[in-house]
Amino acid sequence: MKNRLKVLRAERDWSQGDLAERLEVSRQSVNAIETGKYDPSLPLAFRIADLFGLPIEEIFLKD
Amino acid sequence: MARNPAQRRYMRRMIALSLAYIATVMLASWLIPDDAAATPLTVAIALVPALATSGFIWAMARYIAELKDEYVRMLEIRKMLVATGLTLALASGWGILELFTNVPRVQLFYVFPVWCLGLAVGSLVNKVTIGDAGPCA
Repeated sequence: MKNRLKVLRAERDWSQGDLAERLEVSRQSVNAIETGKYDPSLPLAFRIADLFGLPIEEIFLKD
Repeated sequence: MARNPAQRRYMRRMIALSLAYIATVMLASWLIPDDAAATPLTVAIALVPALATSGFIWAMARYIAELKDEYVRMLEIRKMLVATGLTLALASGWGILELFTNVPRVQLFYVFPVWCLGLAVGSLVNKVTIGDAGPCA
């Protein structure tokens, strides 16, 4: 699944480590989600959406 | 990679269980003479180290349950699936060889170490297929 995580992170000047810390996951996880290697569960997707203050569908896009 | 709290707890439990395993194996070797008959007493003493090996399995189950990072948990479970598949394939393959030929008999004791080696293969599979080996916990 495609996502806009990298762009949203860059807009806030956050590193992958910064985002990982805010989401309470590993930097490895953020990298895997960002590069589309791993699709997060619905609870994690909601946490990401809450953090960016956006609906899920504005972060994760259909292929 | 920095260890998360679940990994730290797992390492502490595995170290304690490993020490218990070594101590109980040494104790059983000291108490049970070579080629001893399987009496209730020798069986009971010989099974004490098995409590520690069962403890290893409990520690791994706790580790998976306590891991909060779902991506890391997925990597770990994939490693365990690869290890289980390899162990079952090797054990059943060798078992069939033992049935039909005079290949050396392999003791069941080696199943667990083979499974643990399978975890390393699982890391390699993760690395090749996803690009992340997963933590070396």
